[in-house]
Amino acid sequence: MEKILIINGSPRAKKSNSKQYGELLASYAQLESETVVITKRNHAEICQKITEYEHVVFVFPLYADSIPATLLQFLIVWEQHLTAQTSRPYFHAIVNCGFIEAMQNDVCIEMLQFFCQKNKLEMGSVLSIGSGEAILGTPFKVFVQWKIRQFARSLTQHRFKKYEITMPLTKKMYIKASTQYWINYGKRNGVTQAEMATMTIE
Amino acid sequence: MKLVLSDTALPLDFSQQADASYINLDELKIATCIGCFGCWTKTPSKCVIRDDATKVYPIIAKSEHVIYVSKLQYGGYDLPMKTMLERAIPTQQAFIRLVDGEAHHVQRNVPLKAATIIAYGNICQQEQAIFERLVARNAHNMNFASVRVIFTSEAQLETVVMEEVAAWKKS
Ligand SMILES: Cc1cc2nc3c(=O)[nH]c(=O)nc-3n(C[C@H](O)[C@H](O)[C@H](O)COP(=O)(O)O)c2cc1C
Repeated sequence: MEKILIINGSPRAKKSNSKQYGELLASYAQLESETVVITKRNHAEICQKITEYEHVVFVFPLYADSIPATLLQFLIVWEQHLTAQTSRPYFHAIVNCGFIEAMQNDVCIEMLQFFCQKNKLEMGSVLSIGSGEAILGTPFKVFVQWKIRQFARSLTQHRFKKYEITMPLTKKMYIKASTQYWINYGKRNGVTQAEMATMTIE
Repeated sequence: MKLVLSDTALPLDFSQQADASYINLDELKIATCIGCFGCWTKTPSKCVIRDDATKVYPIIAKSEHVIYVSKLQYGGYDLPMKTMLERAIPTQQAFIRLVDGEAHHVQRNVPLKAATIIAYGNICQQEQAIFERLVARNAHNMNFASVRVIFTSEAQLETVVMEEVAAWKKS
């Protein structure tokens, strides 16, 4: 039976949304899976591990409209390992961005496609999540679960596809909700809304 | 303020000019962003990692003209520039507004910028197209009023940068 390696590419992996998306995938996948987290020191180890899997799923956040440095660093190392290897896993991704428009992930997904093409990897399924910072704490979490189930099934069936999900809110409602989200975040740290809104830098 | 932010050494010296800076990322120690949101919710506008990035993002913020010089990697910025751009989020607030109908963060005291992005290396057409789309997206998040992308080879880089800097001086 094929196996899935889930690779968390969030720099705050242990507390990340990506971790939760990865856990959902592991729970819905009919295939056996293992999860690893990219750290500064384990690049070579992960590259070696990948060779034992038929599917790799990178789960990570959008950073500055593209691949976060933590994952970019790993891809650069993996590319060197790939030149010496003949076997190739299917390359899948679950990318989540903070903003409500899932399409803000699109350029990043094109970069992944470019990476695959350059390294003769077959791009498989992609799940693009908008409002990925907040959605898991809302009733809309069920939509994410539903999409990750489809994503998981597409891997088993080799029917690769691009999926997209975000919170079904108007932009106005999203902005209101996100403002409240961040005010509460600050409050937990003892920081007021006015302090958070400072215009001075440093 | 004018800024040349580069991932490689360039023969530039703005020490006699009060309104221009040249920063070579290759000489700085900059760790990757850890995504803690401390700069939005704990010590607003200050990154919790007190390395060289804390000297760079205030300069990015106050510059009205920027030239970013970076090698490309998979149609995006290579690691040094990407790492720095991620560390620049203290210049924004956590709060979100609409820009051209899309969600983006509220900028702190950051003037609109005229940006020139010089991407160098052995860049194929497909990679150029991806990078152009990336820069167009960045324009919203990085407060670019106008932006121009120039592709060049590593061999031609110095000449291209010098031409751009000379054009600045005239403007
Ligand atoms: C440095 C940095 C840059 C970010 N850039 C973007 C961005 O360009 N667009 C976006 O929608 N969200 C952006 N985000 C938000 C994250 O994508 C979002 O919070 C995500 O849910 C984090 O996922 P994680 O917990 O798995 O790391 C950024 C966050 C950080 C810390």
